[in-house]
Amino acid sequence: MSPYVLALLLFSLGLGTTMTFASSHWLLAWVGLEINTLAILPLMAQNHHPRAVEAATKYFLIQAGGAAVLLFAGTTNAYLTGQWDIQQAAHPLPIAIITLALALKLGLAPLHSWMPEVFQGLSLTTGLVLATWQKLAPLTLLLQIQPVNSPLLIFLGLASTLIGGWGGLNQTQLRKILAYSSTAQLGWMVLVLQFAPSLTTLAILVYIAAATATFLTLKLAKATSINMLAISWAKAPALVALTPLVLLSLAGLPPMTGFMPKWLILQELSKQELAPTATLAALTALLSLYYYLRLTYAMTLTMFPNNLAGTLPWRLPSHQLTLPLACLAIATISLLPLTPAALALVAL
Amino acid sequence: MLYCGYLLMFGVVVGMAAVAANPSPFYAALGLVMVAAMGCGFIMCLGGTFSCLVLFLIYLGGMLVVFAYSVALCSDALPTGLAEGSVLKSMVGYLGLTGVVALFQQSSEAPLFWWFVGQESEMSVMQGETEGVSEAYGSGGILLLTCGWALLVALYVALEVSRGCSRGPVRPIK
Repeated sequence: MSPYVLALLLFSLGLGTTMTFASSHWLLAWVGLEINTLAILPLMAQNHHPRAVEAATKYFLIQAGGAAVLLFAGTTNAYLTGQWDIQQAAHPLPIAIITLALALKLGLAPLHSWMPEVFQGLSLTTGLVLATWQKLAPLTLLLQIQPVNSPLLIFLGLASTLIGGWGGLNQTQLRKILAYSSTAQLGWMVLVLQFAPSLTTLAILVYIAAATATFLTLKLAKATSINMLAISWAKAPALVALTPLVLLSLAGLPPMTGFMPKWLILQELSKQELAPTATLAALTALLSLYYYLRLTYAMTLTMFPNNLAGTLPWRLPSHQLTLPLACLAIATISLLPLTPAALALVAL
Repeated sequence: MLYCGYLLMFGVVVGMAAVAANPSPFYAALGLVMVAAMGCGFIMCLGGTFSCLVLFLIYLGGMLVVFAYSVALCSDALPTGLAEGSVLKSMVGYLGLTGVVALFQQSSEAPLFWWFVGQESEMSVMQGETEGVSEAYGSGGILLLTCGWALLVALYVALEVSRGCSRGPVRPIK
């Protein structure tokens, strides 16, 4: 792609999210979301492969539909309450519609079906942008609406952790596994949204670090399926030794950083006297743990049968920057002791 | 006047059904023209004369014409017209859906299919709608630039996605 067009698209991606972050008017929030949707489409379809174009088409239809419903709800709110401000108390009906529209944009269950197919059609870098950057703007809007529809949010959260865990169990393609993983993590974020929004912020930050580390690892190992993971140990042995810890951090296992948000969320849910909800969320996290363990097993803990010539691939010089991966992998593995500092950082 | 507004709204819905029924892009653009023209008339009934003018000039006269030229460049030998069986079936389905929704809109003073409520106000000198446009150009400032930027991005996105015409992945759909 021409560097000028690439610069324009990346700038627009940043502009869209920034506009949604900075806006207090529903119309401008919608404009930011639409700019984001438009700008990522050529990035998704850039190699002009039919599968990539199919993924771009599906993504566009879903996001445009979600944005249209969001605009409709904003207009309905303006009709019912007389104002367009996002942070003012809104009428319950537009609140419910906005929550569902943002759930569609984020890929929360039961509105998650587009995620695996879209991720499967993308390169790992574009999938990374989709899983991290594109989640920020809708999540920001979800954080600001009040009064929230409590049963709806808890339903979306629990359904997402359940279906994100359950759906990923039968997958061998890594991008689909990461799509279901994204749904499950977003479910945790949405569960605690109405009780302690700072924990949602913490959860998305930790998820961005962990997901970026995972995507960059897979990109370096050039692995898009479990079979390809199995032969990647010879490409970067030190990285392959660390990846289990990164994956188990995504799963939320102590002593990795990924335990931090889950721990604090369970504590907050218990404080709100939602013990069954907390139990259910913890149990559904076990489902995702299983497929993360499967990836760990395939990559590091086992040497798959192979002939001698197949075990050592050519290691050509890689043009990938390794500094971001190194920093994020260490952050994902070892920042649990900084929990009090992290809490102070996100207590907005 | 009320009846005129009702007819225009009906035309908007029929035009949208024609677009959604998946004919060839030429005929979908025809549906878009119908939507824009009827919707424009309806906005005029409500007093928004400037929006109506902008819709015709910029949307139909600018965007849609450029779209029509681009589509004609990657033209289709046998386009799916509006009289094809599949298109007609889809159109009837969508219009039926809107009919079902309309059935739920009944009330005591607006019995079956007369639920359209007109909004007639007195003539006023201060048109809120034109004021809004001048605000966007005046104290709107950066918002105007952002809207222009969004349009530019949309253009580049369309160009990038359809790069390569028939050599690329974007093909005419039957």
